[in-house]
Amino acid sequence: MDIKTEVLIIGGGATGTGIARDLSLRAIPCVLVEKGDLASGASGRNHGLLHSGARYAVSDPEAARECISENRILRRIAGHCIEETGGLFISLSEDSPQFRERFLMACEEAGIPTALYSRDQALELEPELNPDLLSAVKVPDGAINPFELVRANAKDAERHGAKLLFHTGITSLLIDQNQVRGGLALDLLSGEDYKIEASFVVNATGAWVNQVLKLAGLRIDMALSKGSMLITNQRLNQRVINRCRPASDGDIVVPNETVSILGTTSVRSEEVEDFEVTPPEVSLLLTEASRMIPAIRGARLIRAYAGIRPLFQSGGTGGDRQISRSFALIDHGERDGLKNLMTITGGKLITYRLMAERTSDLICRKMGVDVSCSTHLKPLPVVAESLRPKDRLQKIAPGGEVLCDCELVRREELEEILETMQFRDIRDILHRTRLAKGTCQGGFCVYRLLGLLHESGLVKESPNKVLKAFLEERWKGIRPILWGGALKEEELIESIYKGIFNLKDSVEFGVGSSE
Amino acid sequence: MTKVPMTEAKVWPTSNADACIRCATCMAICPVSRVTPLFPGPKQAGPGAERFRRPGDPSVDSWIDLCIGCHLCDMVCASGVNISELNLLAKAKYLDEKGRPLRDWLLTHTYLYGWLGSLFSPVVNWLLKNSAIKWMVEVILKIDRRRQLPGYQSPTFRQWFRSHHSKGDRRIAYFYGCYVNTNEVEVGKATVEVLEANGFEVTLPAQECCGIPMLGNGDFKGARKMGLQNVPNLLKTIRSGSEIIFSSTSCGHMIRHEYNRLLGIPGSEEVAEHIFDLFEFLRNLKESGSLNTHFKELPLKAAYFAPCHLRSLNIGLPALEILRLIPGLQLENIDADCCGLGGTFGFKKEKYEISQEIGKDLKQAIDRSKPEIVLTDCEGCRLQIRHLTGLKVLHPVQVLRDALLQRTDEEMG
Ligand SMILES: Cc1cc2nc3c(=O)[nH]c(=O)nc-3n(C[C@H](O)[C@H](O)[C@H](O)COP(=O)(O)OP(=O)(O)OC[C@H]3O[C@@H](n4cnc5c(N)ncnc54)[C@H](O)[C@@H]3O)c2cc1C
Ligand code: SF4
Ligand code: SF4
Repeated sequence: MDIKTEVLIIGGGATGTGIARDLSLRAIPCVLVEKGDLASGASGRNHGLLHSGARYAVSDPEAARECISENRILRRIAGHCIEETGGLFISLSEDSPQFRERFLMACEEAGIPTALYSRDQALELEPELNPDLLSAVKVPDGAINPFELVRANAKDAERHGAKLLFHTGITSLLIDQNQVRGGLALDLLSGEDYKIEASFVVNATGAWVNQVLKLAGLRIDMALSKGSMLITNQRLNQRVINRCRPASDGDIVVPNETVSILGTTSVRSEEVEDFEVTPPEVSLLLTEASRMIPAIRGARLIRAYAGIRPLFQSGGTGGDRQISRSFALIDHGERDGLKNLMTITGGKLITYRLMAERTSDLICRKMGVDVSCSTHLKPLPVVAESLRPKDRLQKIAPGGEVLCDCELVRREELEEILETMQFRDIRDILHRTRLAKGTCQGGFCVYRLLGLLHESGLVKESPNKVLKAFLEERWKGIRPILWGGALKEEELIESIYKGIFNLKDSVEFGVGSSE
Repeated sequence: MTKVPMTEAKVWPTSNADACIRCATCMAICPVSRVTPLFPGPKQAGPGAERFRRPGDPSVDSWIDLCIGCHLCDMVCASGVNISELNLLAKAKYLDEKGRPLRDWLLTHTYLYGWLGSLFSPVVNWLLKNSAIKWMVEVILKIDRRRQLPGYQSPTFRQWFRSHHSKGDRRIAYFYGCYVNTNEVEVGKATVEVLEANGFEVTLPAQECCGIPMLGNGDFKGARKMGLQNVPNLLKTIRSGSEIIFSSTSCGHMIRHEYNRLLGIPGSEEVAEHIFDLFEFLRNLKESGSLNTHFKELPLKAAYFAPCHLRSLNIGLPALEILRLIPGLQLENIDADCCGLGGTFGFKKEKYEISQEIGKDLKQAIDRSKPEIVLTDCEGCRLQIRHLTGLKVLHPVQVLRDALLQRTDEEMG
């Protein structure tokens, strides 16, 4: 099944799918390969903050301007992926008032609208805020659902002729006379491999860019920084809450549907795939975030997770927080003499569109075609009408089987999704629903899901094997936050799996592993 | 964490929905979700839904109105989640937004017109039984016509007490509640007689409706108003050196638990320490050896049902303990969860069927036991059991009174 196309895009995160959409809207044929599912890299493991740019206003005005401009565009084209919460930058007694003034000025210079609130005004809006706060600055931050965003881009790309291949990795690049001509792809589930011939290859693999470049004997200077986040069981804030101080660890709390997400840390990492949230990170996040929202101290956490940021170093020193969060588009023809290969990395989730635009512009120039970008004008399609929390609450009675008790996902909703999608493993389903995103993190609902899949003949492997893989993945996210209520619940869940599903010997459970 | 208050700050208890470990124990006991798919059950309606409720958003959980408020879920939850409280808060918000029908006002404000009912009781009682009137009441007020509305009595308990001269060595105050006052005067009389037989002089502190009907209908303001009137009066009584008893477990539950925890009424903590269930009080006498146990033989086969609000008082089943001292009385404890009336719940047309369905278990258990009469401490349960079984249903104190021998001289002395 060899494939011929114009552009081969490697990586199915926001950037890759954004490029696929942009090119196909310009009627340029392209094929995207992603070794996992959509958004299985940083695009699915981030803070979900629709930046206003305020966070970078003081330290990185260029990134700030990019953010506010993309923020406005995304509200227009991707309204269904966004909750327009607004954001507050709060000053506490230990935060310098001079910084607040600089911050206000920098926002103004970057074109980010602000409003200054008194302590009482802020508390009225967000009663859970630390009552010792001095003031708060309102900015147009928001919450964005990265999965929906990536899926919408993928869908629009496919609609305009792009071909997207998942669970397919690029294992080598086809190079002929200093020019890249495509790559070899491996279907990781079926084991099948084939050739994809293309005139251009775009390396949009985020933190993996050097692994792909290595296939051509190249590399770029890039640091990897792990960022960890914690999810609370309940939503504690209605707006994004930031600290009004130089960007630091644990100073943002993003509300997201039924939960709040605390983040992030910034820790140098060598690993792209295998990383965990460590206990010091958990304490740090709790300490810092609870300065802003004291209720976080006693709140129950349901999961910890982390993502890897690729930080492109264009020279200069300083901590990782000082490295620009702007992106890098590298033309390897110019830089390394390997023609028609490009790398696009760094940036933010919310600047994916701009990154895609710049990359596509470059390809057009090389192709000598003159079609301009239209992604900022055309709204993204709605992939599956996703229910807002209050709709889900309303729909649970009467009757109707509820598969996921925590996030109130009904059997009916899931069956609809199964009808419309092609999924290749259980994670594909979990990425597309709220299933397993709530308090129990799938402890009680995934076996019900498997029952449903089994009934309809949709699982080919042994269900126990699937369950085991899921549990192992789940365990990673649970382990760092196991104390109090979460620990109690975990004991219960563990005994269900050991006792009822007889997974005693095959899964390494954490809670009672001393047995 | 605290949720934004709806009416008055500081009144609302904090939610501990986070403590829920989703074990579903509460789902197994909820009488409502057991009989209808319209209500998602305590786990889902309480801590589960709490994650979806946003302070400023309008309520969408119309089913919350189906929680009967029996507190059974709270009692089985090993994680100490305040489930029924969460439900009540959500219900209050829902009804505040949606508005309450006149019917609910009438059902929860009987204290305002009960005296009228008593004054004109012959006419009123005839009207309440008249099928044309019942039809109108159903059509206009959505009160189910299959329910017999309780009749009114004249004179009221308080009027009767005025001409009654209570005597004794020690004083005890009696919180009798609206229902005893205008609808079941006999229960009040029996309570007074039993206390007097134990050497107490009974007094009646100034009192209003405890407010539980309003609370059950999510009217926090109305309920709080009643509490704010009652607590100072009860405190005065307590500070004058008298303890207080109640014969209605619902009034008792309200004053002892909800005044403080849910409604934050100043002084209610002190009241809670000095107010006792009638039989709890008698049991204390028994334990100190001062209970009058001169009972006559009472050959009677009775069934006892413990109301939900007695169970939530966490005092065991004191009526059962005391009544078992009566020779000849055959007493069986009925093992069923909830009668289904839920205060005013079962009167509402849209809830009648649910209420009946819940009561089925109780009816079957009573049928099996084949008693001559049924005893229970709550007026709601008495109404419902009469309605379900057609049997004679009394407050346990009425049987206790009948069993007490004529007061002897030495006791009088
Ligand atoms: C902790 C953290 C928090 C963040 N918070 C925010 C935020 O709040 N707001 C915001 O705007 N941005 C945020 N970001 C940044 C944002 O997540 C990233 O900039 C963005 O997701 C990058 O998308 P991408 O498509 O370039 O990379 P990725 O999403 O990482 O995509 C790369 C893809 O390439 C695939 N791949 C790798 N190798 C191969 C191969 N050989 N063959 C095929 N496929 C391959 C991977 O599987 C992966 O899916 C955050 C990042 C981190 C780490
Ligand atoms: S509320 Fe209590 S009993 Fe009910 S599921 Fe949660 S922990 Fe279990
Ligand atoms: S209070 Fe009673 S009716 Fe309401 S949820 Fe709890 S058990 Fe069910």
